Amino acid sequence: MFERSGFFVFRALRNMRQSPMLCGAAVGTVAVALTILAFFAIVVLNVQKLTRHWSEDVQVVAFIDTAPEERLLRQWIADIRGLPEVEKVEFVSSIEALKRFKKRLADDADLLEGVDLDILPASLEITLNEDSRNRVAVSTLVSRLRQNTGLSDLRYGQEWLERFEAFVSLLQLAGAILGGFLLFAALFIVANTIKLTLYARRDELEIMALVGATPMFIKSPFLLEGVLQGALGGGLAVAGAYALFQLFLRQGLDSLLLASGVERVTFLPMSWQLLLIAAGVLLGLTGSLLSLRKLVRI
Amino acid sequence: MIQIYNVSRAYQKDSSALDDITMKIPKGDFVYITGSSGAGKSTLLKLLYGAEKPNRGQILIDGQNLTRMSPARISLLRRRMGVVFQDFKLLTTRTVFENVAFPLEIQGRKRYEISKKVYQSIKQVGLEHKLQRHPLELSGGEQQRVAIARALVVDPLVLLADEPTGNLDPEVTVEILELFRGANARGTTVLLATHDREMIRRFPRRLIVLESGRLVDDRTP
Repeated sequence: MFERSGFFVFRALRNMRQSPMLCGAAVGTVAVALTILAFFAIVVLNVQKLTRHWSEDVQVVAFIDTAPEERLLRQWIADIRGLPEVEKVEFVSSIEALKRFKKRLADDADLLEGVDLDILPASLEITLNEDSRNRVAVSTLVSRLRQNTGLSDLRYGQEWLERFEAFVSLLQLAGAILGGFLLFAALFIVANTIKLTLYARRDELEIMALVGATPMFIKSPFLLEGVLQGALGGGLAVAGAYALFQLFLRQGLDSLLLASGVERVTFLPMSWQLLLIAAGVLLGLTGSLLSLRKLVRI
Repeated sequence: MIQIYNVSRAYQKDSSALDDITMKIPKGDFVYITGSSGAGKSTLLKLLYGAEKPNRGQILIDGQNLTRMSPARISLLRRRMGVVFQDFKLLTTRTVFENVAFPLEIQGRKRYEISKKVYQSIKQVGLEHKLQRHPLELSGGEQQRVAIARALVVDPLVLLADEPTGNLDPEVTVEILELFRGANARGTTVLLATHDREMIRRFPRRLIVLESGRLVDDRTP
């Protein structure tokens, strides 16, 4: 069986060597399509980092008019922490709230001179866990808080949440549409390139069938050829994306992310790079399969 | 060896390439299939090597029902057949040796076995001094000999030839016919489709005559 595999690989490589232009066209097409996809993925991944950073601001703030006694406060905090949507709860006293407000005012902090220390209400700042940073989970949490704890003055940036969710959905939709379109285009071109290769070799295929080669024997080198072309294209796409990243993307995204307090922009993680190569392999294989269905007949 | 029962093949609704053909060809026979152009000779051979399936009827080769076989099984059956065509059907980018070795490579034979059998087969057709030539460097007769060598290298049960001398001079035709006779003498069943009457006259054997897709005569001299 290994001997046969070696035979098929040999024939696939020989086919590619004998038609360098066709092979180059297929590899190039896969590389270009996947590079564009990778480019988009880098942008999306880094923007998602930004939106994740923003989403850490998704909080519910429960204002407390009169600070309760210590025991009740601890009870509230424990109850709220126990809710499935909650990551952490922080009590901000009136004094602490005033300190924060003064800090925000910076040079204008002296406007607050003479003001009572308990002028601002105390509050419980409730941070949601990552999975619950959406409108539905926030609404559920707010209802639970109102029921379980009796807290009524709850603020949670409803409008901002809706806009944030819409933005993320749009980003994902745009990625899916563009990605789908590009993949389809690449598949079409790879299939036609393999079809041209098959057409150029139709005499050989006919004779192979006549002397007793099984359909799978005839198809295997071409399937392998598609796989190899796809893998090469995928590898080139990773290299091309990295080049584009270094030359163009890094500077642009860096300024955006740093301004928002996020760490530096990053290239695709290793798992995504391998996924890119796997996508190339799948493209090449599918293109070959589509072409072989029609051309190889007894 | 070959049994054909009520076989019909039509490419269009109201015209049959073959119409209700029944015949039996025992092992070791040498049979001419003759008739004018369009009589159905080539169609019959295509049915016999499984390139097409009949619309009606059954074909049995060495006891196996060809009409019910999957493509993979037809491929395996073809490994025991040799087919020779009027246009040779050689791979022009490969040498004589590589062309003749091709069927054995497909079958996955070992390299030393391939070398031995290929050399034997090429010697039988008298081209052992042209092993490394490419087909386009050979004459028509020599190319057909290579094609015959390729057909014989697998020690076929049956050798099918579709107008093998159609493109060749009369002198070369005689040489080619000798190769088929030699194969038949060694036990291979030979079916040779031809409209060359001179060939039939020179070497009379069982003659099956087709006319407009029908079997009109089947006689042995």
